[in-house]
Amino acid sequence: MSHATWTTSVVELASGEPDELGHLDEQSKRDIRHALLTAVAVPGYQVPFASKEMPVARGWGSGGLQVTLAVVGTEDVVKVIDQGDDDGVNAANLRRLIATTTGTAHTTDARTATIIQTRHRIPEDRLRPGQILVLQVPVPEPLRGVERDMRELCRMHAEGDYARMWVSLYEDVVRHGVITRTTGYPVLVGGRYVMATTPIPRFDVPKLHEAPFLSLFGAGREKRVYAVPPHTSVEPLTFEDLPFEVERTPGAACLLCGAKESYLVEVPERDGWICSDTAWCARRRDGDEEAELVSEARDA
Amino acid sequence: MGYAAARGGTEAILAAERLVRSRQEGGVSAALRAEQLTERLSLAVDRVMGEAGLWAPELAATALRQAEGDLVEAAHLLRAYQSTRARLARPATVDADELTVLRRIVPAYRVPPGPQLLGRSLDYVARLLNAAGVSDTRAAPEQRAEGAGPEDPTSPVEAVPSEATDRRPGRLLRLLREQGLVADRRRDDDPEPYDIARQPVRPGVPRSARLSVMARAETGALVNLWYRNVLGPDGYIHEITLGEVRHGYLPVRVEHPLTGEAVSVGRVRVTEVEAIEDLDGPGERRDLFDVGYGLCTGHNERKAIAMANLDIAVERDGGRSPLEQSVLLTTDGLDASGFLEHLKLPHYVTFRSMVERKLAVRVAEPTPSPGR
Amino acid sequence: MRDWTLRLNGLTKRFGAVTACEEVDLEVAAGEALGIIGESGSGKSTVLRCIAGDLPPTSGKAQLRVAGEALRLFDLSPTERRRLRVSTISVVHQDPVDGLDLRLSAGGNIAERLTAAGWRHFGRIRARAAELLEQVEVPLGRMDDPVGTFSGGMRQRVQLAKAVANDPALLLLDEPTTGLDASVAAGVLDLIRSLLEESGVASLVVSHDMGVVSMLASRAVVMHHGRIVEAGLTDQLLEDPHHAYSQWLVAAARG
Repeated sequence: MSHATWTTSVVELASGEPDELGHLDEQSKRDIRHALLTAVAVPGYQVPFASKEMPVARGWGSGGLQVTLAVVGTEDVVKVIDQGDDDGVNAANLRRLIATTTGTAHTTDARTATIIQTRHRIPEDRLRPGQILVLQVPVPEPLRGVERDMRELCRMHAEGDYARMWVSLYEDVVRHGVITRTTGYPVLVGGRYVMATTPIPRFDVPKLHEAPFLSLFGAGREKRVYAVPPHTSVEPLTFEDLPFEVERTPGAACLLCGAKESYLVEVPERDGWICSDTAWCARRRDGDEEAELVSEARDA
Repeated sequence: MGYAAARGGTEAILAAERLVRSRQEGGVSAALRAEQLTERLSLAVDRVMGEAGLWAPELAATALRQAEGDLVEAAHLLRAYQSTRARLARPATVDADELTVLRRIVPAYRVPPGPQLLGRSLDYVARLLNAAGVSDTRAAPEQRAEGAGPEDPTSPVEAVPSEATDRRPGRLLRLLREQGLVADRRRDDDPEPYDIARQPVRPGVPRSARLSVMARAETGALVNLWYRNVLGPDGYIHEITLGEVRHGYLPVRVEHPLTGEAVSVGRVRVTEVEAIEDLDGPGERRDLFDVGYGLCTGHNERKAIAMANLDIAVERDGGRSPLEQSVLLTTDGLDASGFLEHLKLPHYVTFRSMVERKLAVRVAEPTPSPGR
Repeated sequence: MRDWTLRLNGLTKRFGAVTACEEVDLEVAAGEALGIIGESGSGKSTVLRCIAGDLPPTSGKAQLRVAGEALRLFDLSPTERRRLRVSTISVVHQDPVDGLDLRLSAGGNIAERLTAAGWRHFGRIRARAAELLEQVEVPLGRMDDPVGTFSGGMRQRVQLAKAVANDPALLLLDEPTTGLDASVAAGVLDLIRSLLEESGVASLVVSHDMGVVSMLASRAVVMHHGRIVEAGLTDQLLEDPHHAYSQWLVAAARG
């Protein structure tokens, strides 16, 4: 037979639309779930996985997307936020990708969502057992600032040798009087592994400690996933005599809903602040009594 | 209000997409057909396939058109498409000696075993821009006879040398081995090649992983990493002579589902390079050469040469420098571009946190220095 | 010796056809310093590196008594050996660069050891680092300066402070003053001697310099071509060496 005929037959074999459920074939989803199970079994440990190319670019949430697509089922209700905003363009894009290819429902209400995929924030609402938080991670390695060589990084995690991380915190305080780490604050998970809290603000870090919900972290470009199962200790690295400091601006309140204790971002044009969690803020404006806060951090 | 705070992010995206489409579909020039790309811009199509790690000329041309010429974007489209496809079969291992050459040169010898076949190459075409361009009033391409078209729309039209030209010449390497001049790296065991699609790489992976990563790495990344390795502050000098530069076809075979026999299901066009390294380092055999290997999809000699050079450089480096890590982890075009461009995403939550720390530093009590 | 802290039996290290050290036996007690004298190539540094865990031995046994328990050093995994280097065994390198991170401050280098041992209180870490720096006579005003800005002698002092920060059971000193100017070396030597006396640590002092060994160690062994050729009280070795090589060394030192 000629080459042309064989080529045609193979094309016929391979023809057909991509899988109905998402942008991944079933084997890939199984591989990701396998990695996630390992991650849940070893809280805070970075599990390598074969990250596939997604319709969003690397660095734009391909890891979070793969995690969501691997765990989502037809009954799930998905919320997607970026900077706490459901309507940001990247969140909208990801939500569209998930919804149109998996057929799942979506919502902006953090109370009713079963899966919340997020970039840079944890919602203000107190999340319940059974909910899954999927965080997008640009850089999963918390020790990146103190070590570059991957083999040495592996050893440090394997042996729990985090002395160099502690020294960098010591030097930070010596030079500046405070720990100046901004977001993605390093935490000790389950008393064993130091983990990067992706770039969520320090304000959100306490929400992870002994949380009733499951947190899954997806780093697509770096090809790793990690997890914090419910009721796991998550302690920010700080010295005993230096309390962990969250972002606070005394006197700031949301221009729209009046909240003082949510995470606020500045609006210089209006010389004021607004809530980063837009859905929560909108409910507060509508007089919703249930909009209660998780954050226990108090103004210093 | 900025783009992130605008209500209706979905509407914004849809509007942006309409703008993209209107540009793609509108305009005064004729619509671009995929075959125009495979025939007229074949090197771009080849590069896209090489960086996607997928042999699919028509799809690559479609991707290149959809990406409006952005090579990395086109490669991304292809790879993302591949993620949705299940694997149908595992191809049988093919011996690179089965490569049917379209072009083959051996810089190391004047008269090597087998031909010096210049083939179709731009190397010696003088770099004089033909500003007059190709006339637009050429006759329409002839109607092709049924079934007689080449299954590879990107195959170059080459001047066919004499019938006796050996299209599967023996390698220079064989000659050097017979003379006992090459470090022998052949193994008796037959380990499975590392599958980078199933397992991410890190330093210490076998050579097959390194070669796989480089095979679909971004061309510029490999070239510049090589250049930096040779000229940069932390590099070292190589004395490389190319043993083989080949461009040609490799057969693809799978196991027939019923008969179990190996059957050919097509062929892919590749570029292959063997780079001969003059060993001269401490602990190395000065009386031997070693060889670096490069192979990529499509016609991309620059990439295959860089790949072969980096392959032997990493081998010789033996983990002393971060070179292996650089090759394995920083040469993928999609990873690098995606991460770089993600900076365009909103970062106001994190920025606010940085501003807060700057203010905190300003008001902080300096750490007391004992003894002062 | 009944109260040994470190005991070595038959330590042998070969690199292919080359024997770096062979059948080395020795013991060191707490509060005692043992000198290992020899020229370069004698195998003395090899012995130190095997005990430190930087080099795997070819054969032999090494035991370390810590908190009443005798650890078989060569049976431990690399991970366990590394853990011992936090609070149990410390090395003072000939070149302080090998024992310090030049980018970190003097206090930071010490803090690295303390935090590795589990210290988590900034104030106390700082106080302990200051106390140690004072002990090694580094001006406290320089506590927060990067060690890269220090002179060789000062760097060596910081290295000493770092080495004793967690009160190790065993201290290994490899040519501790060889790289220093004579004028500076004397001060550092003095410092080491008082540190050893005050801390009660067991220590091994490796040096080609008999003067250094006689200053710091009450007992010593002489190594030549990988073997111990003579052992005894340092004073007696200097006054009345028996082995031909020891005699040669002593004469060379005097002459």
